[in-house]
Amino acid sequence: MPSKTAAEDFFKGLWLENPIFRQMLGMCPTLAVTNTVINGLAMGLATSFVLVFSSFLISLIKKFIPNQVRIASYIVVIASFVTIADRFLAAYFWDISKALGPFVPLIVVNCIILGRAEAFASKNTVGRSVIDALGMSAGFILALLVLSSIREILGSGRFLGYRILGTWFEPWIIMVLPAGAFITLGVMMAISIQVERKRKGR
Amino acid sequence: MSLSSRMVAVLTLVGFLSGGFLATVGHLTRERIALNKKMEVERAILAVVPGASAGRIIHEEKDFTVYAGQDKDGQLAGFAVYAAGTGFQDKIVLMLGLDVSLSRINSLTILEQKETPGLGAKITDETSFLVYWEGKDFGKPLSLRKPPAASRESLSASEVNTITGATISSQAVLQIVNSARERIINLNKEGKLNPEGKDAK
Repeated sequence: MPSKTAAEDFFKGLWLENPIFRQMLGMCPTLAVTNTVINGLAMGLATSFVLVFSSFLISLIKKFIPNQVRIASYIVVIASFVTIADRFLAAYFWDISKALGPFVPLIVVNCIILGRAEAFASKNTVGRSVIDALGMSAGFILALLVLSSIREILGSGRFLGYRILGTWFEPWIIMVLPAGAFITLGVMMAISIQVERKRKGR
Repeated sequence: MSLSSRMVAVLTLVGFLSGGFLATVGHLTRERIALNKKMEVERAILAVVPGASAGRIIHEEKDFTVYAGQDKDGQLAGFAVYAAGTGFQDKIVLMLGLDVSLSRINSLTILEQKETPGLGAKITDETSFLVYWEGKDFGKPLSLRKPPAASRESLSASEVNTITGATISSQAVLQIVNSARERIINLNKEGKLNPEGKDAK
């Protein structure tokens, strides 16, 4: 494995290997909960919590886990952190917990987390794994924020619940519906690919 | 140690540690989560029964609970009915406030719904839907006005406006309220709605 700096480990999650736009992992929560910025942000933070702590723990115990049972062990570790996140939200952020509904428990099967555990944390040092997880989390949150901002502004004329477009604006209801999620994500992905092409062309 | 026994040992250990850890977390948060649920219902009771400062269960069955709203001196201020039914997409749960004599609706509030955003979800909207329920006659079944009337005044005492483009969601709410109404009337006839009932027992 080529040696990399900590900065490279972190920043690749933001753009070059962004989980949403590049790896296309974790599409389900991305499409489902980005109808408002607050939901997108809460989802991003909950997933990040699970991702960072799972990567840390998995990287820490990787030597003790026989190869044959590694996936099972990873899933138990991930599921434990997801349950903690779910209980925590229900206890302290009741409204957000209700809005996210079944999507918090579903973080268990978010491919980003198992993907990073398998592709990175199980092969690298604890420090690098945590930095990698932080970078991926930042990339995931960034993507969710962009998507949910576009959808909330166009779909309900609001940002973070505050009305920012006047009453003249007739909300595009389709943007808060599932179809709006697909359209926005598709457009975002096309833009990111186009930007990347231009960058490489130079 | 052979490989298979190591596999068993590691998985068992991981399972045990995780189980123990989660039991602790569950124990630490359980009270708060129960409190959140209770607070939510309590808030809704106080919202639909004006003047109430506390709510007490006087009748309970599946998806249907009647609360007596009491004011500061413990006097009956009205009733709150928690009822649920099927909406367009998923269950709709609502809280209906009634006056002391069960003859009038104070107000209605929606606790849970997953109707279409922008259309059916307007059932949670005060000005386009919920306001029409306030002060309605509870003596006979309610009905929907479609197309909606231009003003509140032109609706009869047992009529509420339909939401344009969301007839099914409006009807679902109407259905829940009317079936709750029937149950309330039957319970009242059987003398089961006495707010002192539980104490007397």
